[in-house]
Amino acid sequence: MSSPLTGTRHLLRLVLRRDRFRLPLWVVGLGGMITASALAVPPIYDSPEKIAGYASAVGTSPVSYLMSGRQAAIDTIGGIVANEISQVAQLGICLMVMFLVVRHTRAEEESGRAELVRSAVVGRHAATLAGLLYGVGAAVLIGAITTTSMLATGLDGAGSVTYGVGLTLLGLCYVAISLVAAQLSVSARGALGLAGAMIAIGYVVRGVGAMQDSALVWASPFGWAQRMDAFGEEQWWPALLLVTVTAALLALAAWLTVHRDFGGGLLQSRPGQPRASRFLGTPIGLTLRMQRGLLIGWAIGLTALGLLYGAVIPTIPDLVASNPDIARAIGVSADAEQALIDAFLRYIFVFMAVILTAFAVTSVLRLHGEEESGRTEAILATRVTRTSWVRAAVVVTGLGTLLLSLLMGLGLAAGYGLGMGEWDRVAEQVGGQLSYVPGVLVVAALAVAIVGLWPRRSAFAWIAVAFVFFQVMLGETLRLPDLVDGVSPFWHLSEVPVEPLEALPALTELGIVTVLVMLGLWGYRRRDLGRS
Amino acid sequence: MVEAREDVCHDARVRAIELRDIVKTFGEVRALDGLYLTVEPGEVHGFLGPNGAGKSTAIRVLLGLLKADSGSATMLGGDPWRDAAELHRRVAYVPGDVALWPNLTGGEVIDVLGRMRGGLDEGRRAEMLDRFELDPRKKARTYSKGNRQKVALVAALSARADLYLLDEPTSGLDPLMEAEFQRAVLELKSAGATVLLSSHILAEAEALADRISIIRAGRVVQSGTLAELRHLTRTTVIADTATPATGIGEVDGVHNPQFLDGRVTFDVDSDHLDAAVRALAAFGVRSLAAHPPTLEELFLRQYGEDVTT
Repeated sequence: MSSPLTGTRHLLRLVLRRDRFRLPLWVVGLGGMITASALAVPPIYDSPEKIAGYASAVGTSPVSYLMSGRQAAIDTIGGIVANEISQVAQLGICLMVMFLVVRHTRAEEESGRAELVRSAVVGRHAATLAGLLYGVGAAVLIGAITTTSMLATGLDGAGSVTYGVGLTLLGLCYVAISLVAAQLSVSARGALGLAGAMIAIGYVVRGVGAMQDSALVWASPFGWAQRMDAFGEEQWWPALLLVTVTAALLALAAWLTVHRDFGGGLLQSRPGQPRASRFLGTPIGLTLRMQRGLLIGWAIGLTALGLLYGAVIPTIPDLVASNPDIARAIGVSADAEQALIDAFLRYIFVFMAVILTAFAVTSVLRLHGEEESGRTEAILATRVTRTSWVRAAVVVTGLGTLLLSLLMGLGLAAGYGLGMGEWDRVAEQVGGQLSYVPGVLVVAALAVAIVGLWPRRSAFAWIAVAFVFFQVMLGETLRLPDLVDGVSPFWHLSEVPVEPLEALPALTELGIVTVLVMLGLWGYRRRDLGRS
Repeated sequence: MVEAREDVCHDARVRAIELRDIVKTFGEVRALDGLYLTVEPGEVHGFLGPNGAGKSTAIRVLLGLLKADSGSATMLGGDPWRDAAELHRRVAYVPGDVALWPNLTGGEVIDVLGRMRGGLDEGRRAEMLDRFELDPRKKARTYSKGNRQKVALVAALSARADLYLLDEPTSGLDPLMEAEFQRAVLELKSAGATVLLSSHILAEAEALADRISIIRAGRVVQSGTLAELRHLTRTTVIADTATPATGIGEVDGVHNPQFLDGRVTFDVDSDHLDAAVRALAAFGVRSLAAHPPTLEELFLRQYGEDVTT
């Protein structure tokens, strides 16, 4: 008996075998962050006064709305815990399922390994189904860990379960989105780009909707999960919305599988140029060309993000006016409004800079990807030296980081200008965003050092990215000791625009960047090159 | 005979390649275990060995991609590790496992590699594209294995180099393209270039090489001209004859005759093939098949052991 699903069990076993370290790392890493935050919050808010204080100040601030949405029952300890963990939990679960699902579907097909598998007794839909089951399993694990850790801190049972289920269903929705993306694009990178864009859109739309308190939150799966109102009224019909959309997307993925060739997609590649442009014959030209798609994708995404965040700044005074608690806390004056806007800007700057570290590390690790694929060999068999090859990667990453920061700053200034009709703060806002570039570069330079010195451990550079995310998002919640906070380069930089810009931390970090890059180059020049 | 290191690069007496007692280990594995290899300028040198014998590792040492643990290496009079980029101006390379940038076209890849080498010969580029029937407009992602191989070949053959390092260059090519490749190598040779041709197919080296080195488990076990290695190239003949070919074992150059139900199987030295076939004809040949020995068979014969271990 062979059906389109034959062999799913074998494939799933293969997936689990291949990811016997990767999956536990995700589950322990993400689950651990969620658990640590859930356990850390209640002791901090141990009296009704403190809870009320949180509800009136933190829980209703524009930054909180943008990052975590409008959490129900923010004036209870359950609501506070949910609000504190939701950013990491929601983004984390979506990113996790995206990476895991694409890795075992489109990436396999692109590498040609899936062809070998498909030639065995394996049905047409088996790979998709195995990817689905795997993604669902991972999401359920995270959801279960979240609920368990909430229960462990003594939170309301119904609320804990509702929150965990909502989080899991959000994960499932993005499993389905990733499966569709894997069908549409012929390359794994393309599929990650599509699914990643959908995560970004879902997250930002919910955030803006929450700030404006508008129906926009209903345009995002993040909003549906949140509107289950865990710890509040607890309504289950938004869960139905998540399930329905997930089912529809899965049907779409199955339909796409049937209606395309193996190895093909809907976004097919066209014939190209028979000759290379003059620019392409240099290491920098080639590196830039290889990262063209990456740069364009990030440029569009980050400019849009900047525009959006800029555009919501003018609503901050309204938020204050409509919330007597905040008004009472900070006073109603032009200065108070400005302080609130500055705090908001500072958070946006850091948040966008931290996102940018993901670009910078992706860009640097292409150097390692080229080596692993065997293409570096062909390059270094020409007159190109190892030094100039590494230099090309460093220059492209460095300039790319600067350019993207500039675009984010300009987007922010443009959004703000369009909303306020004021254009006199453009330089200040662009400069503010640029002041966080040294932090991004430190993380990128660490990746260079790792590629040069320990090429087999290149993936460790992502731990640095995960750490700065963790520190920026949860550092204050968890009251981390300075020693831990201080590992993040962003912790040392001046908090522009809340504080004036100091040159010393930035210059020190640029010095560290130089040292790390030199170390990486030193390692790269003296070691064997090739597949490890 | 050891050449002095300070010889000028362009001196004709300088060996194109000289590896002496090269050792290269990867963890526990000794990929190269005291390898000696000498290639004279202007010769086509067959570098033969079964899979995993260390051919690609040796070529990567020559390209300065790997650093030898010990031993001395010279290529075109320079140090392959220290002078890598400088030497590569005069070297063209076809990797054993061709990897291309999936989003570049074949034509773009050829140009990129050619320009990085320091410029390519436009005339040869056009000629090679034509001879290998390669469409330069297709994205590398969509090429078959054979076409990827052709991209690497055209890129290397369009270059005007003194030394061509070709690592199993015909894998994935169809017989017509293989013949085209052989013509191209003979042209290089007549133009005075040196070619190191690694292969696990003896016939290919036989057709092209002036000298051959056979590598096994990281060491060169046989080295010499084709004539010197003639005894290694035996043809296996299988024939059905009308009367039992009993006397065939007496013919010069015939080895290991085996008889089964009117069928005879024997090996014969290539230069005695004519005499053997003549002798066979006397028995009334009903069917005749012959194939050259595979490298693996040669090893089995030479060492009486399984080469894969």
